[in-house]
Amino acid sequence: MAGGGSQLKRLKASLRDQGITGPQQSKKQKRRAAQDEQARNDKRLQRGAVLGGIREQFNPFDLKHAKAPKFEVTSNRPDPKAGSIRGRPGEAKAAAEEKRFGENDPTMTPEEKMLERFAREKIRSHKKNAFDLEEDMDDMGMGGLTHGGKALVFNEEEAVDDFDEDLDDAASDISDREQQRRKRVRAMAAEDQEEAEPQRKRTKKEIMEEVIAKSKMHKYERQQAKDEDDDLRAQIDKDMAEIRAALYASGSKRPEPVQTEIPTMGGLDREAFNKTFDLEVKKLAQDRRAQPADRTKTDEEKAEDEAKFLKKLEEKRQKRMRGESVSDSDASEDDKAKNHNSDEDMDHDDDFGLGGGLASKAPEDEADEESEEDESDEEESDEDNDRDAPTKKKPTAAELGFDDEDDFVIDDDLVASGSDINPFDSGDELDLEETEAADGAESESDDEDEFTKGLLNEEEARNPMFKAESSENTTALEKGDDKGLPFTFPCPQTKEEFESIARAHPLVHLPTIVQRIRALYHPKLDSKNKERLGTFATVLVEFISQPFGVAFDPAVWPSFAVLESLVRHVHSLSKMFPVEIGNHFRQMMIQIKEERPLALEVGDIVMLTAVGTVFPPSDHFNSVVTPGILTATRYLGIKVPRTLGEHATGVYLSILMLQFQQPVKRFVPEVINFLLNTICALSPVAPKASLGRFPLHASDQALRISGAQKVTPRKLRCSDCAIEVEAELATETKVSLMDTALQVCDAAADTWTGKDAFIETFDQVQNVVKRVLIQKNSAHLPAQLISRLEKLQTKLERMMRLAKLARRPLELHHHRPLAIKTYIPKFEDSFDPNKHYDPDRERAEMAKLKAEHKKERKGAMRELRKDANFMAREKLKVKKAKDEAHEKKMKRLISEIQSEEGREANEYERERSARKRAKNR
Amino acid sequence: MSEGIDSRPKRPSKAKPATGEPPKKKRRPSLEEESDATDGPEDLNAKILLMEKGILETKKNYNDIVVLLGIMGDYESGNPESMLATVALSRVFMRLLGQGALVPKRTLSDKQLAVVNWLREQFKSFKTLLLSLLDDEELGVTALTLCMRVLQAEGQVEKDEYSFPTEFLRQIVHTVLQSEDEDVAKAYTEEYLEQFDDIRYHTFSSITAILQDVGEEDKADMFDAVLPILSALDGVPESAEELEDWYIARPKKKTHNIRSVQQHKRRGQEAWLALMSIVETKEQRKRLLKLVSTIIAPWFTKPELLADFLTNSYDAGGSMSLLALSGVFYLIQERNLDYPLFYHKLYSLLDNEILHSKHRAPFFRLLNTFLLSTHLPAALVASFIKRLCRLSLNAPPSAIVFVIPWIYNQMREHPTCTAMLHREIRDPDVKKDLRQNGMDDPFDPNETDPMQTDAIESSLWEVTQLQSHYHPNVSTIAKILSEQFTKQSYNIEDFLDHSYATLLDAELSKELRKTPAVEFHIPKRVFLPQDEPAVNPNSLVAKLWDFS
Repeated sequence: MAGGGSQLKRLKASLRDQGITGPQQSKKQKRRAAQDEQARNDKRLQRGAVLGGIREQFNPFDLKHAKAPKFEVTSNRPDPKAGSIRGRPGEAKAAAEEKRFGENDPTMTPEEKMLERFAREKIRSHKKNAFDLEEDMDDMGMGGLTHGGKALVFNEEEAVDDFDEDLDDAASDISDREQQRRKRVRAMAAEDQEEAEPQRKRTKKEIMEEVIAKSKMHKYERQQAKDEDDDLRAQIDKDMAEIRAALYASGSKRPEPVQTEIPTMGGLDREAFNKTFDLEVKKLAQDRRAQPADRTKTDEEKAEDEAKFLKKLEEKRQKRMRGESVSDSDASEDDKAKNHNSDEDMDHDDDFGLGGGLASKAPEDEADEESEEDESDEEESDEDNDRDAPTKKKPTAAELGFDDEDDFVIDDDLVASGSDINPFDSGDELDLEETEAADGAESESDDEDEFTKGLLNEEEARNPMFKAESSENTTALEKGDDKGLPFTFPCPQTKEEFESIARAHPLVHLPTIVQRIRALYHPKLDSKNKERLGTFATVLVEFISQPFGVAFDPAVWPSFAVLESLVRHVHSLSKMFPVEIGNHFRQMMIQIKEERPLALEVGDIVMLTAVGTVFPPSDHFNSVVTPGILTATRYLGIKVPRTLGEHATGVYLSILMLQFQQPVKRFVPEVINFLLNTICALSPVAPKASLGRFPLHASDQALRISGAQKVTPRKLRCSDCAIEVEAELATETKVSLMDTALQVCDAAADTWTGKDAFIETFDQVQNVVKRVLIQKNSAHLPAQLISRLEKLQTKLERMMRLAKLARRPLELHHHRPLAIKTYIPKFEDSFDPNKHYDPDRERAEMAKLKAEHKKERKGAMRELRKDANFMAREKLKVKKAKDEAHEKKMKRLISEIQSEEGREANEYERERSARKRAKNR
Repeated sequence: MSEGIDSRPKRPSKAKPATGEPPKKKRRPSLEEESDATDGPEDLNAKILLMEKGILETKKNYNDIVVLLGIMGDYESGNPESMLATVALSRVFMRLLGQGALVPKRTLSDKQLAVVNWLREQFKSFKTLLLSLLDDEELGVTALTLCMRVLQAEGQVEKDEYSFPTEFLRQIVHTVLQSEDEDVAKAYTEEYLEQFDDIRYHTFSSITAILQDVGEEDKADMFDAVLPILSALDGVPESAEELEDWYIARPKKKTHNIRSVQQHKRRGQEAWLALMSIVETKEQRKRLLKLVSTIIAPWFTKPELLADFLTNSYDAGGSMSLLALSGVFYLIQERNLDYPLFYHKLYSLLDNEILHSKHRAPFFRLLNTFLLSTHLPAALVASFIKRLCRLSLNAPPSAIVFVIPWIYNQMREHPTCTAMLHREIRDPDVKKDLRQNGMDDPFDPNETDPMQTDAIESSLWEVTQLQSHYHPNVSTIAKILSEQFTKQSYNIEDFLDHSYATLLDAELSKELRKTPAVEFHIPKRVFLPQDEPAVNPNSLVAKLWDFS
């Protein structure tokens, strides 16, 4: 557009530019122009277009330009080309004008038309809120800043937000996609429209139904045709005899008349046919064979999956270690929420899940005899809520198809549907394979399963002949293998049953027996087997913690190799029955808690060891391991050992606790206390002063080592835990005890190195070691022990130095400073100044009531006033009427009187005048 | 029996005018009462009743008193009549006392005086017999009732002047204390001592007198007998209006000793002091210490008198100190006792045993009170915090569980102490030194003065170690110290009463709701050493223990 000049000047200029006006043409020129009619015709058309263009240009408000969104990022609409024309309000108006009210109604007078139109206009404009800044700015004729009818855009390049290119791209991506989607939708709609009758758009369902119906009809017709053919054929077949008879017109008997009615498909009615057809189709669809098979995975993929799985396992373990709740993906959201809640609970309620404590108990007798507390149940349940665990059952590894080596059969369901999970072997078996490859001697079948080898293979297991119930074959099986061990056993449901089976055979074969029982009663073989095996698992747990119900006795007890394999059986079973086995272990702990918290037996410590292998002790919390650890530390913490056996038990528990803490290195104060007490109790001379902050128990002189210079320390055995003192004699045991205790201290130092208070923890150990090394003590000790003491001392010195070097002041509170609590101001979208927005509910309610009361009161007053007015008016009316009547009456009376008076006066006058007249007369 | 006593006295008064035939009438009711008795005793019973009646009728029959006393003295042979005789005699004497027959008046003639004196002698021997009955196992409680009735009658002889038969009461108390039968002491405590203010008053005096001349060898027994009786008396009167239960009508004079609360308290105080003076063993001392602040101290008008006993106990160390602490605190709080170096002493109580002690909960309640004051110097509080932290490195979880929230509360009260949790070193020289040489704990654990330990220069490394405690709840609690201090304070009471047993209960008593996580890998070996230790390292158990 030209820069300056008035509108008129510019119009002129542009007309001239387009050659519509111009300098006067000469005649010659005119003539030439007139000559080619066509060109002129063209020119006229062209001229019209040009004029239209110019008109448009000079009347910008006729056009409406699409406005670019204010901020690109806030709009998910496709970006319209800025400046493109979106509408022509002028023309539209003109068009609308045609349809104006009463335009073609000759019956209306122009006034009526005008009136009506005005009213409608008013209504239309009334709907819009003139002061609404947000909405429909460009729908309003006046809203939005424009120049020349175009929306104001200062600089198109700058208007594009260059904050983040990628974001922009993404946005455009989205819009592209969006556009495509729209296009698709539109295309589909178009198709639909094409297909459907013009009058009504049918729904997809209807269309599909129609299609199905049609196809069914076709099918039916085909069937019908086929049936007709069949009928015909049957007819011919029927006639065949006659034909044959005609052909071989011999005296053969006539065939019996064949039944004419052969039920055919065609004979069924249409409804029934449809029904059976549907059923068939459904059946076919549900057939498993119809599903596509999974591709066999390559070795690399298998390895990758395995690695992934192991990684996932490790991640889960780590999570549990940190005390976060682990769950499966589908439950994770739910879980997180719950976890969050419980965290909050912890914050707000100060409940650390400690239980109720000794609330109901007198405080005097709590610490020394800590056995008879009772806890109220509601506190329990509180706590339950706190550590609210997702109740959803977590699928075990076995259920996922990751069966360990002991699970020799893979569940059918999993083969059929779950083979997407790679059934590779557990890492454990890999180890096994490795070691066996190294051996090289074992056959390949050996790595299949150590617990099932020489037993039924899967096909055999499927064979009902091998079912324990089918007793016909059992006689043959009971004869047993070459060792005289039967192949079948009843599934023991109580400890007694199991023990009676165990007694009948050499104890070495116990693992084999368990194997066979597990194979025979595999859950796959019988629906009841799962239950049976579950009970059997608990029986095994019980057996482990107290074989044959006797205290430790090497003659009666199975060897630890056997126990070990039983523990592993329990472990493997626990993947199938985690709850049953976990509960049973807990039962055993409850029994210990009630009966012998400070007199643990060998069976108990075996049980605790088993707990630590079957359940992961690295977890922050584990419902089986945590009470197990507490059971052990309770002994270590409270027990004042009087005999060597009690010392040995404590030392074993210390080893176990340390082993539990190896992966995570959690600190167990009781271990140090107990070990140092044991060393002090055994050292030849009692320490005079306290050597640390551990409570030193008084100990028996008989326990002290003396004159053991020639004794060689050995490893401790379980039998050491059981012995009753002949303390003076058991020098070897004493020396071994001290030796082991020192080794455990050594291991503890290794485990807890790097702890913040390492120095404070182990300076006591150092003191004790120093004390044992003094002349009075060391004179009684064998050389091995002394060298171990010295080694430990130098090691501790070195570690202390390192710990000192690594020590820094604590900096625990690098928290962001706490913000002052603020309240987000609340904006009312539709604020009404007449309304009250009181955040105080009660007050608001009260204000509302008050307002209502006031209103009502006002209304009532008005009513009353009105009534009173009315009454007054009525009264007045009545009174007026009365007054009027009275006045009338009075008037009447007065007039009556007056008239009477007047008459009398007249009479008087007359009389007087008459008299006067008479007088005058 | 007591019903008999109540109902009998009326009968003679009714039957008084009757002369010759009443004996028969008399016999019938007694026959009805003991219908199943055999002939002999029946006769004796009747005879006793006749004698009683006779004595009351005329002075001439006074000699029957001697006969009755004879029957009464026969109780040891298990003669049931002796009890009857006792009852009859007590009725007789109560009546005679009521008549004033035992009071020697000036107006009486020599002869009459001789009778009175004779009667008094008989009364004396009757009392002696009664007291010996009190010692009897079966009859003890009944005898006590009779004793007290006679006491009451004796006390009311003088109508216009208050005279409490203190001598007789002292004898009763002495007998009760020496009695083997616990029921007698219990009955005496419950029915008389706790009920009547004057009985209590005089019992206190009696006990004081008895304890003052108790023999060396009887001290332990006497202590055991006196302590339950004294410790039952916990209702210290606060004002004279509260003294309203009188066994013997109170003196009219308001200034009389027995009507003054002060005097009551003094008697109590004297009795307790007398008891303290015979304490020999630590056990006895501990039993007293447990009662000091609740039962003993309120009796003391001058609690300062307790101070010696308490401070001696407090200085004794060990659990004695823990027990004495509450008493000392009582004195400090109520009586403004100035205990020099109180916090020194308190600090020294935090020894190796404290977190394992059975008295730790009450002790920590007190410790919490002592250190609540915001006026304490931060260095002192820091010493306590640091010392407890050290100790909790060797403590059971149930102790750690309250030490940590307590530290939290102290940090809130004494924000200067938070330096022990967070200390940034800004000085480059110090930083460099730290990098090269590390640091020693500036805290001096052997310093006995809590102001001089330099604990405030130290850091609570112990707490960070406890954050990896094996018990999940303990480690969670330990973490509160490294989180932002958003909570005002923790209620220590919630954490005090825990033990291994309660923690185990908390774990084991709830149902196993969630499937426990199972270790995925099944180890090749559990007890025995691995076949290939190079590939699979042995577990610690297998390494250090011989399972073969």
